[in-house]
Amino acid sequence: MHRLKSSNNLIYFFVFGFILFLASNRVDELRVYQGASIAVFVIAIASIILLTGYSGQVSLGHGALLAIGAYSAAVARNEFNVPVVVCFFIAVLSSALGGVLLGAAAARLTGPYLAGVTLALAIGLPSLANQFPILGGEQGLIFDVGFPPLSLGEEFTQYKWFFWISSLAALISMWLLSNILGSRYGRNWRAGRSNEVAAQLAGINTGRSKILAFTISAGVAGLAGALLSMTIGTVSPSAFPLALSFSLLTGAVLSGVTTLSGVMIGAVTLVAIPEIADVIANRIGASERITTNLPGLMVSTLLIITVLFVPHGPVEQHRSRKAKKLVQKKN
Amino acid sequence: MIQFINTLLIGITAGSIYSLMAIAIVLVWRSTRVINFAQAGMALLSTYFGYEAMVHLNSFWIALPVAMAGGAAVAAFIELVFMRFLLKRSAHGAISGVAPIIATLGLLGVIRALTSSIWGGQDVRIVGPVSNVGYSIGANTLAFSPLKLLILVTVIVLVLLLSLLFQKSSIGLSLRASAFSPEIARLSGIRVDAVRTLGWSLAGASGAVAGMFQTVNGNGSFSPDSIEFSLLLVSGFIAAVIGGLDSLIGAVIGGLVLGLVISFVLMYISSSLFFIAPFVILLIVLFLRPQGIIGAKAARRA
Amino acid sequence: MKAMNRRKLITVSAVLAVASLAVTAVPAQAAEVGVSSTEIKLGMTLPMTGSASPGYNKIPAAVKAYFDYVNANGGINGRKLTLIAKDDEYVPTKAVAKTNELILKDKVMALLAPLGTANNKAVASVVNPGRRGIPVLFVNTGFSGFADKKKYPTTFSVLPSYIMEAKIMSEYIKDNFDGKKLGLIYQDDDFGDDALAGFKQAGVNFAVKVPYASGSQSGTTAAGWIQKLQAGGAEVVILFGVSSATAAALGTAAVMKYAPQWILGSVGGDATTIKAAGVPAGVLYNAVGASFAPATTDTNDEYVKLFQDIYLKANPTQTFDNNVMIGMNSAFLTAQAIQAAGKNPTRKSLIAAIEKSGSTFASAALVPLNYSTTSHIGYNGYWFGKYSPTGDLKPAGGVYTVYTTDSGTGAVVKSTYKRPAMPAKGLPN
Repeated sequence: MHRLKSSNNLIYFFVFGFILFLASNRVDELRVYQGASIAVFVIAIASIILLTGYSGQVSLGHGALLAIGAYSAAVARNEFNVPVVVCFFIAVLSSALGGVLLGAAAARLTGPYLAGVTLALAIGLPSLANQFPILGGEQGLIFDVGFPPLSLGEEFTQYKWFFWISSLAALISMWLLSNILGSRYGRNWRAGRSNEVAAQLAGINTGRSKILAFTISAGVAGLAGALLSMTIGTVSPSAFPLALSFSLLTGAVLSGVTTLSGVMIGAVTLVAIPEIADVIANRIGASERITTNLPGLMVSTLLIITVLFVPHGPVEQHRSRKAKKLVQKKN
Repeated sequence: MIQFINTLLIGITAGSIYSLMAIAIVLVWRSTRVINFAQAGMALLSTYFGYEAMVHLNSFWIALPVAMAGGAAVAAFIELVFMRFLLKRSAHGAISGVAPIIATLGLLGVIRALTSSIWGGQDVRIVGPVSNVGYSIGANTLAFSPLKLLILVTVIVLVLLLSLLFQKSSIGLSLRASAFSPEIARLSGIRVDAVRTLGWSLAGASGAVAGMFQTVNGNGSFSPDSIEFSLLLVSGFIAAVIGGLDSLIGAVIGGLVLGLVISFVLMYISSSLFFIAPFVILLIVLFLRPQGIIGAKAARRA
Repeated sequence: MKAMNRRKLITVSAVLAVASLAVTAVPAQAAEVGVSSTEIKLGMTLPMTGSASPGYNKIPAAVKAYFDYVNANGGINGRKLTLIAKDDEYVPTKAVAKTNELILKDKVMALLAPLGTANNKAVASVVNPGRRGIPVLFVNTGFSGFADKKKYPTTFSVLPSYIMEAKIMSEYIKDNFDGKKLGLIYQDDDFGDDALAGFKQAGVNFAVKVPYASGSQSGTTAAGWIQKLQAGGAEVVILFGVSSATAAALGTAAVMKYAPQWILGSVGGDATTIKAAGVPAGVLYNAVGASFAPATTDTNDEYVKLFQDIYLKANPTQTFDNNVMIGMNSAFLTAQAIQAAGKNPTRKSLIAAIEKSGSTFASAALVPLNYSTTSHIGYNGYWFGKYSPTGDLKPAGGVYTVYTTDSGTGAVVKSTYKRPAMPAKGLPN
């Protein structure tokens, strides 16, 4: 099922990139901006799917890992005037470092304990920014990737620039991730997830394998964090609330946490929900309280419904239904 | 010196409230082996029930039992219509381990959004039944008031009642049996489903008291995005784990430790580190004594 | 081969997802964005829910009440004024998202009175209304930096800057509480830094300084603030934060029996909001406060009377307070600016109109406006008063003594400004 050839992946990589390129020229600025957000969510959700779906570890604190990436990118840019591209790499590396530490802790914990530790991290870590002046306190830091190069033309807007950067990043990370998951490492993770003892007997070092999963997932999350702060221009504790971690988790569950290929479903849903909520709130003439809370309510409700009825996500559901039919036909 | 004493007093009062929250987490864990991340949300909802009672009947002494009854009812409802269904559906498959966690988180989100849309959070104020103005010793004022005394006494009474219930009746044992091995429990005549619902209800009531006290102990207001709420959310869980997740006394000790740590960090180290402090304590405990302060056996990999 | 098909399916569905985004057509452009033959749309972001929202969440209804009053009287050149307000919860990230919506989806002509220093800074750096030529009228923050025309070419300040407020406050302290031990609670961001700069400029030293992170104000944290102030022996304490922080400090101080001479900054000094948060009026009694507009209880004042009438007619269950008055005053300035921008106002002509004639706009304030082609500074002064036993801010001795200054090294001087009479019916003429 996952034995995809990387050359095949490469073709999709280019086809998809070309479609995105065409799309960005045809839609209005708001859609371009939302497109950029979708690309960021794709990366963030993929990092959770890798961790939870493939290696079986749950993290409620991915927001904290995004924050590490975002802050290191912003500090590198503001304090040391590092080129933007390098900033993104720094984000990946520093979050991955955080992932190694967290992974080492995680390898000793499972299930609810790990969930609780990461939850506490998600609430606690962003507030560290208030302790160190270099991190800019509650108000945060500006993260400015600069205006698009002039060679792209006068009409080329800032948001289109964001869209291009984040889409390219999303394409590259998806390509890398799907290759990693198809490799020996991916198989080790799945083996460890389904039966840890059996995996150990088969010679897999499950502890090291888990730490590796955490590290890669964190690195990818760090990239998402840096991109997120690019699209909102600032890095601040309030940009990484608990609600963000929950949203990403919801996105992952919606996408189907055991397969990478549904990742667009979750990302598009997360961006679409505020829009839909807005329409509903306007339609029913809801008060400010309801308007503000409707997106959160929809996200949480979707999360519950998915866990109850489609626990493996729509893509996997579709697959297993097809597989069942196939079996029935053969019989 | 007075500052030190006051910090201590603030920590003890706050800690006693976290203890109640931790007890709620422990009760649910003991009955269903689920960490209920929605516990703080349920406490929030019950506090708003209490607030409504305050508005209409204008008595804290009616509002408190109303909140407790409301909390118990909400918890029982969630256990009956939601958790049972969920545990049945997600018993197998790739994400069976994480499904309950994710589900209770979803529940937390739903409750938060619902309460914010109904009550907003700004206009909700509950005033305690007795004065919160501190006692005086000479020229100094203690951070300890009739209200804080009331909170401490109530928490102690509740904990004593609960432990009596667990020691003198077979409920404690039934809870544990139902969680660990429902089949055997059933065979030995324990009404597993009823016992589980009872565990959840007790937890709901306990969380409701925590919510009410957290509200009056602060400035009287309690909203889903207040610091007081986040503190309940994190502290209940962390205190329960520090205490070993399985023991009432452990939960009380965990709550007090956490209350004191937060209070001292807030006063003497930094007002921006008090959310990271519980996390650090949690990590230290998990690494040094994985079974918790009171825990009997290594059960971290449960 | 099966894998291939599945891949195709996924690709196709992904393409569909992107394509669905593309369907929304771009509507035909009018003469100016947000201006039609019947309507002018303005957008506002501010906290309407969340910990910082108390008090400020009344502003949209206040602005709408005045706009409706103008619209009922024929609008501005036949166009009615519409306000679209969005909740940013005092979170910069959300302010960026909501401002994007206002500009790209709702297509407002200008932003009106967006609230918060950090929020406005974040919006300026990402959404960048300055680069897009979108006017940002009468920002609801006293951060001195927003008057910098080079950095924020389309932004107009209106509130006196926090530096000005701190300088004038220092003068008041020297006159009334000389030699007392001073304490300060301030928000640990540009809002607070601006105030610190002003106090430093005026040479005021504090025995205890307590910074708080925006959003961390609560009963739990306030216990720490008060203990630090008590330990430091502060006799006069300045509260330079948002309303919820003022309320948390005053409420906790009452519980700790700590009663210094309080001085409330204008941002968090609205009495109605503080009392609504459960602080007894008695705690406010005799505290010092500052304002640039007339006292809200001064119903002899023609503006207070008119604004109160309009507001209470539209919102009969609410209380007329300082946040409401300042909101309505900004709405009044906006109506005059649009009127001055010509028969068919554009974003450019709107900015030009304020630069050209903004200093002559009528306003409720007892302090002059300082707009010109080189200055985007609004008001520049304050009067001081004390809170009455019922907790209402009133000028000392019943007379408004106004002081003005600048955000630089200028001296604090007694103002000689005489407010011109209100135009007929409080409408732009």
